[in-house]
Amino acid sequence: MMLSRIADSLFWIGRYMERADNTARILDVNYHMLLEQPPDTYKLRWDPLITITGERTRFYQTYDEAIARTAFDFLGYSEDNPNSIAQCIIHARENARTIRDRISRELWEDINGLYHKINKLRDEGEDLARFCDAVKRGGHRFHGVCDATLPRDEGWHFLQAGCALERAEMTARILDVHYHQLIDGPQILNDARSHAWMAVLKSVAAYEFYKRQYTQIEPEKVAELLLLDARHPRSVRFNLGILQNSLYAISGSVPGTYGNEAERLTGRTHEQLTYDSIDEIFSGGLHNYLEELQVTCRTIGAQITETYLYYAVSA
Amino acid sequence: MSSASMSHSTNSGSQLLFSGYDPGTFYDEMVAPNGLPRPGSAPMFEKLANMPLDIFDERRKLADLSYLVQGITFTVYSDGRGTERLFPFDLVPRIIPRSEWDVIERGLAQRVTALNLYLQDIYGPQRILKDKIIPRNLVYSCKHFRREMVGLSVPRDIYVHIAGIDLVRDSRTGQYLVLEDNARSPSGISYVLENRLVMRRTFPRAFEVCEVLPVDHYPNELAQILRSLSPRTGDRPVIVLLTPGLYNSAYFEHCFLAQEMGIELVEGRDLVVVDDVVYMKTIHGLTRVDVIYRRVDDDFLDPLAFRADSLVGVPGLMNAYRAGNIAMANAVGTGVADDKAIYAFVPAFIKYYMGEDPILQNVDTYLCSDQTQLSWVLDNLKDLVVKAVGESGGYGMLMGPSSDKKTIAEFADRLKADPRNYIAQPVIPLSRCPAFDPVTGTLSPRHVDLRPYCLYDGEKVTIVPGGLTRVALQRGSLVVNSSQGGGSKDTWVLRGDE
Repeated sequence: MMLSRIADSLFWIGRYMERADNTARILDVNYHMLLEQPPDTYKLRWDPLITITGERTRFYQTYDEAIARTAFDFLGYSEDNPNSIAQCIIHARENARTIRDRISRELWEDINGLYHKINKLRDEGEDLARFCDAVKRGGHRFHGVCDATLPRDEGWHFLQAGCALERAEMTARILDVHYHQLIDGPQILNDARSHAWMAVLKSVAAYEFYKRQYTQIEPEKVAELLLLDARHPRSVRFNLGILQNSLYAISGSVPGTYGNEAERLTGRTHEQLTYDSIDEIFSGGLHNYLEELQVTCRTIGAQITETYLYYAVSA
Repeated sequence: MSSASMSHSTNSGSQLLFSGYDPGTFYDEMVAPNGLPRPGSAPMFEKLANMPLDIFDERRKLADLSYLVQGITFTVYSDGRGTERLFPFDLVPRIIPRSEWDVIERGLAQRVTALNLYLQDIYGPQRILKDKIIPRNLVYSCKHFRREMVGLSVPRDIYVHIAGIDLVRDSRTGQYLVLEDNARSPSGISYVLENRLVMRRTFPRAFEVCEVLPVDHYPNELAQILRSLSPRTGDRPVIVLLTPGLYNSAYFEHCFLAQEMGIELVEGRDLVVVDDVVYMKTIHGLTRVDVIYRRVDDDFLDPLAFRADSLVGVPGLMNAYRAGNIAMANAVGTGVADDKAIYAFVPAFIKYYMGEDPILQNVDTYLCSDQTQLSWVLDNLKDLVVKAVGESGGYGMLMGPSSDKKTIAEFADRLKADPRNYIAQPVIPLSRCPAFDPVTGTLSPRHVDLRPYCLYDGEKVTIVPGGLTRVALQRGSLVVNSSQGGGSKDTWVLRGDE
C-alpha cells in the first residue's frame, strides 16, 4: 500500500534529479564546444540552450543576451528559474526530506549531500565546468544508490517512471532544438556542423556508442540513435520501454494491454518508436515528430498524476 | 574551587574536564558539595575526570557529526525563511539513582491518571464543577476547552494517551517539582532515543560499568496503545501519524516515530472523509484509517469544525470522530488539562478523584485572574516568572529577575489587560549538571530540567525510564527550551542506586 503523496514525491525526485543532470550535460557540452570556435558564434549557440529548457521568456526578462555567463547563471543557480539545476536539486531534496521515513537512509544522505555540495560550489564561485561535473557525478551516484538500496516495490517504479519520462522528453527536446538550429540556422554555423552534432551526442553520453555504430557524423543517424535505439539508456525508445515496464508493475496490467490512459499512450508511442524507420520520420518532418513526442510525454505525465497521484474523490 | 580538579588528575599540569569545576550553591546532579561524585555518578565522573581533553573533543565532534549527517534538525522561524538547526547535544549524561526515579514514576503515574479522570469528568458529568473544587468559569475560559467534546465518549475513555510532564529539582530542598503538564502533543521523545543511540556509540564502555535502564521500547509501547484504540475489530487496524508537514519544527520526530512504529506518516491532504469514515488516498484508491496519532493541534485538525483557514487539517474529521469511526490520540480538547492556570488545581484533582496526597508537588502558582493575587503579582513582578497560560515552548514568558524595567512595565500592562491569560510563579533555583562549555573547553555547571514521557493505556501508566533532560547552555540561564537556545542530554536511570 502506498500513499499517493509518497508516490508523487518519488516520481518527482526522479524527474528533478534527471532534469538537473540533463541540464548540466547540455550546459557543459556547449561550453566546451565553444571554446574552440570563433567568438561571434557564441550568441547563436547559447540561445538554443535557453530554448531547450523551455524558459526563454523568463530568461530575456532578466538578461539582455545569452552568453556563457548569463546561461550558467540562469540554468545553474538562478532562483527565478524554477528549472535551474540548483532549484531542481532543492526540489528533489525537499521531496526526499518529506518522505525520508520511506526511502533508504543512504538515498536521503546522498541527495542531502549533493544539495550541500552545490551550495558550497556556489559560495566558492566555482566555474561552470567543475559545477556541471559535480552535478553529473551526483546524477550517476543517485542512480547507483537507488539501484543498490531501494526495494523493488511500487515506490521504486514511480521513481523509475519519473526518471524515464523526464529523460525521454529531454532527449527529444535536445534533438529538436539542435536540429532546427543546424538545418535552418544561419550560414555561419555550417562549418561547425559536425562539431555541433558531436556535441549533441556527447551531451547525452552517446558519442562513443555512436562512433561504434556509424562512421560519419550525419544528422539522420544521430536522430536515429537518439530516437530509436533499443540499447542506449538515453534514447527515447529505451526510456519509454522502462516507463512501460514500471507502469505495468504498478497497475498489474499484462503486456500488450493497457489499464489506463498513461499506459495506452506509453505503449502506443513505444510501438511507434520500435517500428518507425528514420527515413519515414524524416519524410514526415522530424520537427513535427519530435514535437508530438514531447506533447505525448507531457500528457503521459499528466495522466500518471490523474490516475495515481491526485485523483478526485467524491465525498 | 572544588577538590574535583585535583582528585583524579593523572597527567598533572595539563587541564582536565573537571578543572576548576565548582558546583556552587545550586544542587548539582553529578557532583556533591564536597566536590566528590554523587554515589551513582562515580563511574562516569571518574571516566570524564580522567579523559584527555582532545579525546573528549573528538567524541563530541563525532556525536555532532552524526546528528548533522542524519539531518536531525529542528526548524527556527526567526529569519522568516525557516532555518534548519541542530539541537545541541551535551555529552555528559544526567544520572538518576533508582530510588529517586521510583518516586518520580509513582508521582507521574498518579498525576497522569488524575488528568485523565479530570478530563472524563469535564467532558462528562462535571462533578468537580458542581462540587466547586475548581471555578466553572476558569475551566470554560481555557483557550483549549472544546465545547464540542462535552458529552462525547472517546475510545476506552482515554483522553491523554501521551503526556510530557516537565519536572525541575529545587536546589533549596533537593525535591522534584512539577513545572508544567503537556497533555496535547508533547514532542522530544525522538531525542531521548537518538541521544541514547549516540551515547552508546560514544561511550560504549561506560554502559558496561553503569547499569542504565533501556528506553528503546517506547515506540512499541505507544504502537500497542494506538492499536488498542481501533474502533474496528478483526482486521489489523490501520494507524497513521498525522503531521502538519515538512515545515513543522518537529517533522524529524514525526518521521522518526512513524518509521519506528511501522505506521504511515500522513499529511492532512492524504486523508479524506467519506460518509463519516476516514480514508487515506493511496495509488490504488482509498484505504480506511482506524487510528490517528495526531501531531496537529486541535485548532487545525478540521477546517469545518475549527479554524476554517487550516490547510493542514482534514475536512469532516470531527464528524468521523463523533460517529466513533476514528480514534485519535491524544483526544481532542486535552488542552483544558494543561492550561497553566488549571495546573494550579492538579494537586486538588489528585485528592478529589483519587483520594490520595500528591506525590510530586507543584510550584507555587499565582492566578492573575484572581484580583488579590494579581495585585500581589504586579507588586512583585521583578522576582517572578510570568507565563501565558495557553502557550508552550517558552514563548510569551517573562523572567522577572533578568528583565529590564521597561520589559517588566510592558508585561504589567499585558497582565492588567488580560489577567486570565497569565500566571506567575517564583523563580525556582533549578538544579545543575556538568555540561561542556566551549568558551573554557572544560565542564561547567548548567541548569537542567527533565521531561519524562508518560503513556496511559486506560489502566496503567508506562514511563520509559528517564526522559528528555534539557539544559540551558548559556551561563546562568534558567530557560531550557530548544527554541530559546537550550540543548539536551542523555538521561540515565540506574538499575540501582549506585
